[in-house]
Order: sequence, then structure tokens, then C-alpha cells
Amino acid sequence: MNKILSLDGIHFSYGEGDPVVLADLSLDIPTGKVTAILGPNGTGKTTMLHIMLGLLKPLQGGVRVAGKSHKDYSKRELSQMIGLVPQFESIPFNFSVIEYVLLGRSPYLNPFQLPGDVDLKITENALKEAGISHLAEKPVTEISGGERQLVHISRVLTQQTKILLLDEPTAHLDLENQNRILSLLKRMAAQGVTTVITTHDPNAAIFAADHFVLMDQGNIAAEGELEKVITTENLSMIYRTPIRVEKINGYTMVVMDKMEEHG
Amino acid sequence: MTKEKYKRFILLLSLGILVVFLVSIFVGRYPSPPGMSPRTLFEDRLARQLVLNLRLPRLLVAFLLGMVLSAAGSVLQMIFRNPLVEPGFLGISQGAAFGAAVSILWFANHPLVIELSATFFGLLALAASYYLSTRIRYGGWVLRLILSGVAVSALFSAGVGVLKYIADPLTELPEITFWLLGGLYSVTWRDLLFVLPFALVGIVVVYVMRWRVNLLSLNDDTAFSLGASLTRERLILLITIVAAAAAITAISGVISWVGLIVPHISRRIFGASAEKSIPAAMLLGGGFTMIADDLARTLLAGEIPLGILTSAIGAGLFIYLMISMSIKVRRNE
Repeated sequence: MNKILSLDGIHFSYGEGDPVVLADLSLDIPTGKVTAILGPNGTGKTTMLHIMLGLLKPLQGGVRVAGKSHKDYSKRELSQMIGLVPQFESIPFNFSVIEYVLLGRSPYLNPFQLPGDVDLKITENALKEAGISHLAEKPVTEISGGERQLVHISRVLTQQTKILLLDEPTAHLDLENQNRILSLLKRMAAQGVTTVITTHDPNAAIFAADHFVLMDQGNIAAEGELEKVITTENLSMIYRTPIRVEKINGYTMVVMDKMEEHG
Repeated sequence: MTKEKYKRFILLLSLGILVVFLVSIFVGRYPSPPGMSPRTLFEDRLARQLVLNLRLPRLLVAFLLGMVLSAAGSVLQMIFRNPLVEPGFLGISQGAAFGAAVSILWFANHPLVIELSATFFGLLALAASYYLSTRIRYGGWVLRLILSGVAVSALFSAGVGVLKYIADPLTELPEITFWLLGGLYSVTWRDLLFVLPFALVGIVVVYVMRWRVNLLSLNDDTAFSLGASLTRERLILLITIVAAAAAITAISGVISWVGLIVPHISRRIFGASAEKSIPAAMLLGGGFTMIADDLARTLLAGEIPLGILTSAIGAGLFIYLMISMSIKVRRNE
């Protein structure tokens, strides 16, 4: 397996004496594929993304990107390699969509530079790729939740990174918008962009991903391809609720069973 | 707003400010309100001296004051992701006021000493707010700085209260009160030279980093992922523009509302992107303050303190903008 990003023996907690969030975690992210990190809320998925990005520093262990340690990259070089769409992003001012998406070009500009025609062209292409060119002049506060997520993804596309990290990209979206976003991510992977998404929804992961990582309480419970990872036993164990994995017309689906009443 | 339209707008605005400047030279109570005719300037020696020694430096300081306060307001509002922030925030104004009062009371009642003391304490307040925010263990960067700013501001304002209480009511108290109300009545060329370097550095740094300010207004994790050195870049902007605001506050006294209302108006006209709204806010602020100062020295026989006028006009505009729904304070999602 060709790996573009790897975590090696990561140990992390938010402060001395605080609970351990990740314990001796090692993981390789395959190049040019969509990797889904699955697990219930609060298992350290977001923390892991922040460590991959370099925003959080592990107490022990290291991160390697394209064969080089995080430490050997400048902040700007790293931001040309890895992009992030966080789970929550509030935009406090009423930027137009194109003004906001253009900010994705920051890694290629020094703090005193203004974006030029090339940056604008790349931004327009990203909007086209995400299918939201018609929203370019609209204020970001006046579009729907699904459109807003497409705007965030367009911003990360203008960043032209080899690796995309998306934290719960489909949470709070209806099915049509989930489909739009996940299909867009699959298209990007087909163009060679390595994508890592976190999600607590196994069906969204199955729809989009080639590689699966099951997280449980700060560690990896299972990792690999669909058949190996998405099993009734694995999911029931980490979600602590009765779950069945079914094949419907050759398509794998995860179904919840009714919980038994406790007396 | 398209690039072409923006350029035309800025050109018009600059022309407008030039007109305001030229007209302001003749506006005042000499020889009688609303001012003198251009002919008087040629014929009357006293009028020429008045314009050269008093009105010109005063106009230039008014213009710089408006520019700096508006730039500071824009930057603070964006960096702190809060449209209600202004330079009084972070304890800067209260710190400067405390510095001025300390100087009036104990050091020397000399303008230069008052200015230096006010600038020093304004920057000290910023440093205290910043240091305090690094010691708070919870909340994001913005929340921590806001909490620290409120606390430091309250401390200095309590300090000013104590100093006013112990000041000599006949000599020192009026001086402190006058300073707190704000005004440009005593501005000289020397004052202008004192603030010019601070003001220019602040204005230039904010101007060249204007697009970057957009990036710094995003969530910390997003801005980091886009390659921003958050602490360093925010500090560069904050220190240069706050130093400019503190230095100019040292000679003008506390002038409120300009830094709050002008950035709002600018964003309303030119859009949220700081690339366009910050240069426009600087020009609007400069023009606004010059006009307010014209009114301050013309309306009444005794001068109206500029701070009172900007508060009255600013609050009026604010109420109008709130009612017309163009100021939106949104909850963070």
C-alpha cells in the first residue's frame, strides 16, 4: 500500500492529568483513496485530524507526510499539502461566496500579498467543480446548509492540496446534499487527491470510502477494506448498540436493531 | 462591488475628502461663524497665522485620528470576530486615560509628558490584556481576550476614578475631565510630528495586510490550515494599530464611536471583505472626523468637546443602522 500520511505511536491528551484521548495510535492513510474514520462521538476522531494537520502536537510519536516528518515542513509548505474542512465553521462577516472561497489561496501568498488573476481563475474553477458557480456573488450567510458545506469544500479545493481532511462533512445534511458532497469527494479521489473523512454514520462511510478505520476510545478497533471492517460484530461492539450489517442487492447497509428494554 | 466600481468609488471619496479639507480650512469662528472667505486669508495677517499654526495641524491630526481609529476598529472587529468591538476595547482607551491622569497629577502637566505617559499606559493595558488572556485556561482566543480586556479596562477605569477623586478640583480635575471628553483644541505642529510615525506605521501595516485580515477572521483551525501564523500575524496587526491609536488618543483624548461605527458603514457600502472595506473605512473615518471637528469648533462660542460630538453623531447613526437592519449581530454557530 502506498501511504501518503502516517501516524506513528501517537499519544495525546489535552493537558497534564487530563484523560488520554489517543493512546499509542499508529495508522497509515493510503494515497489517492477515500479513508473513512468511523466511530461514536467522543472517540478522538477530530483530535486525530488536528494531529494530522499539525494543529495539535502529540505528546509522543510523530506524523509523516509524503515521507517527511511534520517537523521538516514550514507552516506554509504544510498548508500546501494538507487542507481541512472543520466540522463547525462560523463565518462572522458577510463575505460573498467567492471572497470566502478565494481565501483558500492563502498558502500561496505571503501575508502582504493580494490574490491575483491566477488565484481568481482557480477559485472560479473550484466553484464550478463543486457545482455552485451561480452562488459566487451571494453572501455566505444567505445560503442553505448544504450549499454552505459545498462552499467550504470549494475553499479547500482552491488550496490544491494532495490531502483533504474533512471532519463530519455530511453531518446535519439531508440525503440529497449528502450525496452531492460524498460524490464530489469520490470524484476528487479519482483525480488522485487523498481524502480522509470522519463520520459517525457508517452508511455515509460505506457510500464514499475505499478504506475504513474503526475508532474506539482513542484507539483503532479495526482497519482495512469494507468486508473486513464493516461487520455486525465490529459495529455492535464500538457503537454499543445492536447493529446488523446487511447486503441488499449487493450493496452493504448498516441497520439498527431495536434496543431491548432494560428492567 | 466590482473592481472598477470600487476604484471609482474610492476616487470619488478621495476627492470628497479633499474638498472637505479645503473647506475646513475656512470654517471656524474667525472672524465670525461659519468662517472666513478666501479673500480674508490673503488680506488678514492674523487669519493667515491662525490657519497655518492652528487650523492646518488640527485638520491633519483630525484626518489621521479618523483614519487610525477606523482602521483599528476594522482590524479589531475582524480579528476578534465581533462587530461590536472598537479601540476602547482591550483597555487601550482607559489605559491611555489613566496614563494622562497620572501625568497631570504627579509628573508634569506638560503636553509631551502627558502624551508619552498616555501612550505608555495604553500599550501597557494591551500587554496586560494579552498576558492575562494567555493565563486563562479555557475558551478560544477571542473569548479569552475579550474577558481580559473587560477586566483590564475596568481596572484602569477604577484607577481613573480614584485619580479624579484625589485631584485638585480647581486645577487638576478640569484638566483631566477635559482630556477624558476628548478634543483637538490644543493641537500643534509638534503634536502632529509626535503622532505621525506611529500613525503612518499603523496605517501602512493594516493597509498592506488588508486581505490577510479576512483570513485572520476565520476560525483558528481553518486559518491555521491555510498557513496563517495566527499569533504572530495577529500580534503584528494589533501592536502596530493599537500603538497608533494610543499615540493619537494621547493628544486627542478619548474619542469614541468613530472606530465602531465607521467600519460598519464601510462594510455596508463596500462588502465584508477587508481588502475593500478597510481602505474605504480609513477614508470615511478621516472625512467623518474632520467634519465632526469643524462642527466642534464652529457650533458654539465655546468649543464642544470632539468626543461628545462623535458620540452623539455616532450613536445616532448606530441607532439608524440598527433600525434599518443593516447591523447584524449573529450568534456564533
